[in-house]
Amino acid sequence: MDKFLENLPTLVDEIKALKDIIITNIVLIGQTPAPTFKEKRRGILFMERMAEFGVDEVTTDGYRNPIGIIRGTSSDKPPIFVVAHLDTFFERDIVFNYTIKENTITGPGILDNSLGVGVLLSLPIIFKKLGLTFESDIVLAGTIQSIGKGNLRGVRHLLKTWTTPIRGSICIEGVDLGRLNYFSDGMIRGEISCSISEEKGAMHTDTPNAILILNEVINGIMRLSLPQRPRSRVVVGKISGGANHGKIAYHATLGFEIRSDSYKMVKSTYNEIKDIVDGIGHENEVDLNIKTISNLKSARLKFNHPLVKSTAAILKSLGIKPTSKSTESALSIFLSRKIPSVTLGITYGEHHYTNKATMEIEPMFKGIAQLVGVIKAIDSGVCDEQ
Amino acid sequence: MSNNWLEKNTFHYSDFKDLFHLVEEKQKKNLQISLCLPTLNEEKTIAKEIIIMKSELMTRYPLLDEIVVIDSGSTDNTVEIAKSFGADVYDANEILPHLEKFKGKGENLWKALYITKGDIIVYIDADIKNIHHRFAYGLIGPLLLYDQIKYAKAFYDRPIAIGKNKIRPTGGGRVTELVIRPLFSLFFPELTQILQPLSGEYAGYRKVLEKLPFPIGYGVETSMILDIYEKWGLDVIAQVDLDRRIHRNQDTKALGRMSFAILKTFINRQKRSGLIDLKNNLYDEIIQYNLVDSQYQPAVSKIIGFERPPMIEIPEYCEKFNIKN
Repeated sequence: MDKFLENLPTLVDEIKALKDIIITNIVLIGQTPAPTFKEKRRGILFMERMAEFGVDEVTTDGYRNPIGIIRGTSSDKPPIFVVAHLDTFFERDIVFNYTIKENTITGPGILDNSLGVGVLLSLPIIFKKLGLTFESDIVLAGTIQSIGKGNLRGVRHLLKTWTTPIRGSICIEGVDLGRLNYFSDGMIRGEISCSISEEKGAMHTDTPNAILILNEVINGIMRLSLPQRPRSRVVVGKISGGANHGKIAYHATLGFEIRSDSYKMVKSTYNEIKDIVDGIGHENEVDLNIKTISNLKSARLKFNHPLVKSTAAILKSLGIKPTSKSTESALSIFLSRKIPSVTLGITYGEHHYTNKATMEIEPMFKGIAQLVGVIKAIDSGVCDEQ
Repeated sequence: MSNNWLEKNTFHYSDFKDLFHLVEEKQKKNLQISLCLPTLNEEKTIAKEIIIMKSELMTRYPLLDEIVVIDSGSTDNTVEIAKSFGADVYDANEILPHLEKFKGKGENLWKALYITKGDIIVYIDADIKNIHHRFAYGLIGPLLLYDQIKYAKAFYDRPIAIGKNKIRPTGGGRVTELVIRPLFSLFFPELTQILQPLSGEYAGYRKVLEKLPFPIGYGVETSMILDIYEKWGLDVIAQVDLDRRIHRNQDTKALGRMSFAILKTFINRQKRSGLIDLKNNLYDEIIQYNLVDSQYQPAVSKIIGFERPPMIEIPEYCEKFNIKN
């Protein structure tokens, strides 16, 4: 294994020789729209390409997550999972045509996560080119229904129905190269909606305004005392409502997220916000409701876990500086099931959530080399020791 | 008019998606295949076309033997980008440089015959935003699998359903529906079965293409169909549904100039064949009007409608390909 890692930098050029195929995979995937809950077409393409690349088994699980399996040489080693979420933030009605220039590819959804899926799809052909085999089966999964209201249902279902042990996993995200995520905060995303019936509004002496009601809720949230330890915070991230400038708003919604490294604190904060909502709704006689959109329990590997240490060493051997932050993604689902996992980024990019999202091509080859290195490290047993 | 041809010679690209089989057929017949991309300022789309074709039809399945870009003097980064992604790039003016120089798609396609080495040449416009390798293998498929077919033409998006009680709009673009289809209906009703005669993607055997004259500009698609039809009949032509094609939209005035060139090509051919008799020569200028400061001002565009002779009549070509006339 040490020898393999020593040679890792030399693999970058070998991977680069497959540039055409890797970019083609990214573009073909990216140009197939896959808004959350509508990933079917992209899933079919994923399976078609996997089959063409000679993967041993191509299938879907019961939730229609497309999966390719490369059989390992050992029958008693559990599989290694490599996953990337298939869905994107963009609806079908926008133009999904990508533009390739000398060192960039631009197009909606490329960074989150068409790039990740395209690289995942390219792994079978990269393994062949590098002459790599593994003891473990390698399970390559494109998970559906990850973003927003998807609430990571795809990956949750995949793991729930996978009955045998899993040796370790890697979650692929498009950006940024150098990210080494191995812990995730507890999190609840919620939505507060205020509705005032127009008839009821007319009966009021002072007609309530849904936006102003939500403003009171925000003020209430701002007055909450959140502890520094466990580290906790509330983000008010979205607000919408009203019809036009001169008319009282009868409907408004507010999106928020509570995060903490203690899930107990997340739940307790959620209950406090619920009390605020119930109180304001009662006092103003309006229909004010709170609901949970998604939630995650906090989970982590320790920094000295062999997978984290090996991954950091692999990144450094490629001249990549590792940076670690909490991530609320498929990683937390793996970690909460006690499966050693990390999330890695593939390259650098800009304009993340716009139609002009752009990835850099050149750093991607290092990003793929690190991925190969970490898969090889898991296969050599770094997750088996604990 | 019988619809026989439409039923027999219309395909869907998915009929040819077994690329391994296509490669086998190509090797069995000992053929080489060239892809030609004519360009003029296509920096936004050229890289994607090259990289996808190269990945899928050269690296993974050796169906194409070369990708050649023939450029008409782009002022953006088309040439640099195309070279950096591994295409063979040529300036149209530097091919057969002793000949009078012209600028136009037809000129590039004609000169591609001299530059490329393939027995089959695939022409694909370089401005396709949703490029996919089906655009090439869909056109190559009928040429490899059906011995009588020598020329395959694309159509898109609005397929006709040939089965019972299933009729869907078959329309091409505006110029097809307003100019070409009425002309074909008037003169050659059989040709109306070609659903999108102006589509920019087609493939053919060199043995056919080298015997055709090429208008230097927009008329090239129309002339190819008319000339192949006249020399070899409709049965050597196939049309292939390539699904969806997204490309730049042209404004009405540009379509007017295109229509002018096509009408001229058409009328000149029928005049030559004696089908119509003109007392005077046609004019070379289309006159369009713009409203400028409350005044209508004419904008005159010269469209000469020059045609290159069949490539097989060019001595350098015959020498290069060892052809004895």
